[in-house]
Amino acid sequence: MRILIVEDEPDLLASLAQALREEGYAVDTADNGDDGLFNAEGTDYDAIVLDVMLPGLDGWEVLKRLRKTKKTPVLMLTARDQTRDRVKGLDTGADDYVVKPFDLEEVFARLRAIIRRSANKTTNVIEIGDVKIDTAARIVSLKNKPVELTAREYSLVEFLALHRGEVVTRTQLYEHLFDENEDSFSNLLDVHVSNVRKKLGAEFIVTRRGHGYCIE
Amino acid sequence: MKFLKSIKWRLQLWYGLILVVVLAGFGITAYQLDRNRQFRQIDEELHRRVGILANALHRPPMRGMNGNRPPPGQPPRTQNFDDPPPEDAPMGGQFGGDNRSGHNGRQLPAFSLLAQDGHLFAADDPHHFYYRIFNRDGNQVAISTNQPAQRSVNLDHEYQPGTRPSELSGKGNSPAKMVSFDNYREVNTQLPSEESITVGCSIAPELKDLRRTALSLLLVGGAVLLVGLAGGWWFVGRALRPVSEISATAVKISAGDLSQRINAAETESELGQLAAVLNSTFARLETAFAQQQQFAADAAHELRTPVTVILTQTQTALARERDAASYRQTVEACQRAAQRMRRLIESLLALARFDAGQEILRREPFDFSKTISDCAELVVTLADERGVKISVAAEPIEIIGDSERLAQVVTNLLTNAIQYNEPDGEVRVQLAASEGLAVLTVTDTGQGIAPEDLSRVFGRFFRADASRTGAGNAGLGLAICQAIVTAHGGTIEVVSELGVGTTFTIRLPVSG
Repeated sequence: MRILIVEDEPDLLASLAQALREEGYAVDTADNGDDGLFNAEGTDYDAIVLDVMLPGLDGWEVLKRLRKTKKTPVLMLTARDQTRDRVKGLDTGADDYVVKPFDLEEVFARLRAIIRRSANKTTNVIEIGDVKIDTAARIVSLKNKPVELTAREYSLVEFLALHRGEVVTRTQLYEHLFDENEDSFSNLLDVHVSNVRKKLGAEFIVTRRGHGYCIE
Repeated sequence: MKFLKSIKWRLQLWYGLILVVVLAGFGITAYQLDRNRQFRQIDEELHRRVGILANALHRPPMRGMNGNRPPPGQPPRTQNFDDPPPEDAPMGGQFGGDNRSGHNGRQLPAFSLLAQDGHLFAADDPHHFYYRIFNRDGNQVAISTNQPAQRSVNLDHEYQPGTRPSELSGKGNSPAKMVSFDNYREVNTQLPSEESITVGCSIAPELKDLRRTALSLLLVGGAVLLVGLAGGWWFVGRALRPVSEISATAVKISAGDLSQRINAAETESELGQLAAVLNSTFARLETAFAQQQQFAADAAHELRTPVTVILTQTQTALARERDAASYRQTVEACQRAAQRMRRLIESLLALARFDAGQEILRREPFDFSKTISDCAELVVTLADERGVKISVAAEPIEIIGDSERLAQVVTNLLTNAIQYNEPDGEVRVQLAASEGLAVLTVTDTGQGIAPEDLSRVFGRFFRADASRTGAGNAGLGLAICQAIVTAHGGTIEVVSELGVGTTFTIRLPVSG
């Protein structure tokens, strides 16, 4: 899962990025509206965390322009908790909002929720044969026994599970699993796929030659 | 008596009371006038008869005149004074019903009425005139038969032996004593010859008339009172309607809906003017309230970001074990956030103190040019960082005030001039005396301020950038500068042109 954070307060941006990376997300950052919009339009993020008060384009403007081309789920960070601000945010196309000051747990939960909703899932638990994925607890179990996965492996499983039945290209996987700072080697993805197959069964991830991967 | 506290009821009560007094006064006067008129007429009639009787008494006897004889078949009735009429007999009943034209008196030998005067005591006259004549010894000379019941006749006022004729004056039959009793009115006169003539009549028709008059006055008065009260109620209600509207609106406003206004249709009346005054008060109240709310929301907003930094920094740090460098970073970030909050709180408190007039400024003379060069030295480092050149041209001017607070103003203006300047820009500071004022100008060659923003630069939480341009700049600096300068009795102005630069001008009174 790859997330963009647009926030101009450097200390807040740094800690949010670190916390989300530690949650297993690939995180890109921008500290002003113009850069944020540029990134958001150029990459298929799984979600965007967008502050309202930004130098350059403000959060509302970024959201309005982004909505012309992308349906990426957006979580607004706002320091104003008045109803009209919330209404404005939701009406402009935000999927959810968090009022500052917030708890990180709440940001995580809301991010999971908007990502889940954008994949048309209503619960946190995805069951595929014997494999059960709890996206809230980030736990994958096989025949009711928890399976140890690295954060990257978990993200791979979760992303494919959320797009179950679709063929996911390698480019898409790179975009969603690695952030812009990682120099991704093409075989890194193969290593993760192979490790997941070892832990959850060879048939769990199907390879479509020349297209990508798929969970059926 | 809750209704007595209502203005409407009190007005109505007073109104009704005054109306009753006026109507009663009017009615009683009208009644009295009517009564006096009627009695005067009666008295005139009585006096006329007294005169005729007096003439008859002293006229030589005229025998053979038919007129003073009772008509045939009607023997003259006699009545002794001591012989009271039957009590149950009505007064007129003592006369024959057919005795229409003849006079009813009994003539004593010395007394007879002329025929043409007989009708004056006719039985069919509704007033039933009657008379009694006594001589000086108290003996009855003549008496008509139709006397009222004895018991109600008071003879004391008639012949009194002690009364000297000389005391009587006027036409000879005066003074007359007027007496009213029951339904009768009598006049008693003592002639110079010391006979006492009493003429009386029934005033029942007049009394009946007066009762009718009184009744109709009462009815008309009552009707007028009712109409007056109803009209008054309507008028008072109409006049007070704006009051109830005002109070209804005030209730809504006190309940928190400050957007309510009084619907003042008639702006000319006193209440309309009151409504207009109240409306403008409400409008100012709403504006002040909205500004206060905006200020509180902005202040809260400014505090939210540093609090968020501290929360996310600490929650991230505590999520797992970290190395010392990582903890150090977290603590440093928290410190920055806390410093920012402290600056914000200090600014807010300073503004609040200026607003409340509680900020105590020192008032001592000092050389303002010295303060300016001190401030310029302080910001030199920042200017060097940005590649901005500062030039100061300050002539020594002594002013009275708080040098620390004014130094804060100068530093703030210089910092702004440097921060919003272009690289290799310039900041010119000038201090000169002009028209008894110390005039300080700070000019930069920066990006300038948009014309639509110029009026708001001294507003609270205003940022030319629409967003923070750096942590710690909450947009309160210029608001505080203005508060300080105003507290010194000075003014602060700004002139700016986009792309050319901005000039702040401060004018302060010079000491002495």
